[in-house]
Amino acid sequence: MTTHPDSAATPKRFTIPIGPQHPALKEPGFFEFTVEGETVIGATLRLGYAHRGIEKAVVSRTWVQNLYLLERVCGICSHIHSLAYCLGVEKLAGVTPPPRAQAIRVLIAELERMHSHLLWLGVAAHDAGFETLFMYSWRDRETILDLFEQISGNRVNHSINTLGGVKFDLTAEQIVSVLKAVELMEERARYYLDLVRNDPMLGQRIRGIGTMSAAEAHRMGVVGPTARASGVGRDLRVEAPYAAYTAIPVVVMLETDGDLQARFIVRIREMFESCRIIRVLLDHLPEGDLQARMPRRIPEGETIARVEAPRGELFYFIKSNGADMPERIKLRTPTLCNLGSVLALCIGRQLADIPMLLIGTDPCFSCNDRAVVIHQAGNREKWTWEQFRRYGNEALR
Amino acid sequence: MTAMKIEQAWNNALAGVALWARTNSPWVLHFNTGSCNGCDIELLAALTPRYDVERLGVKLQASPRQADILICTGPITRQARDRLLRIYEQMPEPRFVIALGSCALSCGVFHDCYNVVGPLDRFIPVDVYVPGCPPRPEAIIYGVIELLKKLHPVDVILEGGSA
Amino acid sequence: MNAVETALQTALEHLAPLNGQVTTPEDGRRDVTINAGDLLEGARLLLDSGWGYLTAITGLDHGESEGVLEVLVHFCAGAAVLTLRIRLARAGGELASLCVLIPAASVFEREISEMFGVTFSGSPDTRRLFLPDEWPEGVYPLLKESPAAAGEA
Repeated sequence: MTTHPDSAATPKRFTIPIGPQHPALKEPGFFEFTVEGETVIGATLRLGYAHRGIEKAVVSRTWVQNLYLLERVCGICSHIHSLAYCLGVEKLAGVTPPPRAQAIRVLIAELERMHSHLLWLGVAAHDAGFETLFMYSWRDRETILDLFEQISGNRVNHSINTLGGVKFDLTAEQIVSVLKAVELMEERARYYLDLVRNDPMLGQRIRGIGTMSAAEAHRMGVVGPTARASGVGRDLRVEAPYAAYTAIPVVVMLETDGDLQARFIVRIREMFESCRIIRVLLDHLPEGDLQARMPRRIPEGETIARVEAPRGELFYFIKSNGADMPERIKLRTPTLCNLGSVLALCIGRQLADIPMLLIGTDPCFSCNDRAVVIHQAGNREKWTWEQFRRYGNEALR
Repeated sequence: MTAMKIEQAWNNALAGVALWARTNSPWVLHFNTGSCNGCDIELLAALTPRYDVERLGVKLQASPRQADILICTGPITRQARDRLLRIYEQMPEPRFVIALGSCALSCGVFHDCYNVVGPLDRFIPVDVYVPGCPPRPEAIIYGVIELLKKLHPVDVILEGGSA
Repeated sequence: MNAVETALQTALEHLAPLNGQVTTPEDGRRDVTINAGDLLEGARLLLDSGWGYLTAITGLDHGESEGVLEVLVHFCAGAAVLTLRIRLARAGGELASLCVLIPAASVFEREISEMFGVTFSGSPDTRRLFLPDEWPEGVYPLLKESPAAAGEA
């Protein structure tokens, strides 16, 4: 239960504000914790630094213009946002994208999942005090960004989706590049998995930290790798398959320890699965068109599109009143889901546990935007995220 | 292959600049004013081994009081604006500003959103604008070098050319 | 009947005591329009039987002419989506907070409150989530008549 920090203060309770500058992630945010001694008794958050007002903006843009806006909700998971949007609008229009387009969409989605997981790996490693791991994983990430650039012309915000299909095809040369990259990714994932499972120093920082049980994850409505690390097997690619996932069975990666180490392991194992999916996809790449015709005015109706973003379930509600601009688009990102849940989970825990618990959810701040404050006994101490995570690390020694 | 040639010319160019830049090494503060993170991750990528901007002597700082250059991403949301102004005030002179990405330049696709009050040069003077959505690491580094050239007008000969 | 339809039928059975109006907006979804006062009970009927999880809450303003604001509370079990729909007046609408059942609902409720002006009674945290502190009181951005652009800084 989140508690307003000004409610019923007892002695020895102080507030630690953290943010809005988060040196590792370079993302703004604002969390607030109330502690008694070392135990967290209240946790809430205040977002807004990256709040731009997108849900208002969409109703004054055409369906095609919104594609370019929604791609930019988040630079890390740009494709999955535009995919959810396209799937929803195509459903309203009764249009089915051609099979080749569906396959290319999944290819990019899985490449995006890998780049996102590598990004998180680096950032989480940095936060656990492992600068080298940050450098390695971000260097490996470049291989995937190269592929995005080859296929779409851009490393980030690759804009591959269009309403009705995709804009870019895969050439034979690009397919060879993808397969080579996939081989490299598997090699690197093996290295990271070994490191995360067996390196004693890293283990000290991540084993038994920020643990969430399956029951807690289930009850709190946690999604994505964060849930899967606690044994809750939610994955929309399996539960509610979309695009080419209907033809490719996905194996859900589950761990049961539910600690930070399990969250590392799930994401690295998902990379193996992404590689496998990509190989299967390219082995059976359908021939044919890249786009189906879409009407300019989308028929009246309401639709919900749910997709498995790298961080978990991404939810889009789209309503059309038959015009060439949407009536309403509501988007709920996986991070909002998980943050709300994880904060509720902080109650009763040690403060030192919290930084890595938060990091373990792979919070994408631009998808939401957040920060941290801690209250203790009428004292209001201001910490930066850097101080907060160092506090977490030092308490482990 | 074309990709190899470009990288080599780029590396030659950087090598020519590196020595000069290292003697004037700028400390850079990064501030996100509500960006989608696209620009931020390309800026961070500039620090990683492939681009390795630290060999130019460029160092990412956490504190405004020690920064020479402020690099801003994002279209400036209301909440970010106040913090932006405070950070800029805390920076000792001489201080310089790079606007990174379409949003910092013009608010980009968010130009008419209710919580967006930018662009950057509406609030603080900007020395270098780096366009792109997002700009790639090479473009960011180029922007930093352009700023350095402004600060230290030295004849820098960039060796380009054959692989 | 496939698994998704079965799941939806089960949810409808759980919700039967509320006598809501059931519609099928698309495959894999059921909408149940219920009275505002029945929201907490509806959530409890679903969650106590282990049906799904709360995935999102959508606010939908139908505008001045219709004079109605709808709050859509979405629950999901696998591919099945069950939405509780509540019709409220466009101003002064009030619902019971779901936080007593689902602590994580707080972030969803706070967003609806600040964007549409709906109050969630019994909510542990009623502060703004996304909007800045200086945002004027009583201006709810996602109501249709609210201005679109930022205006003067």
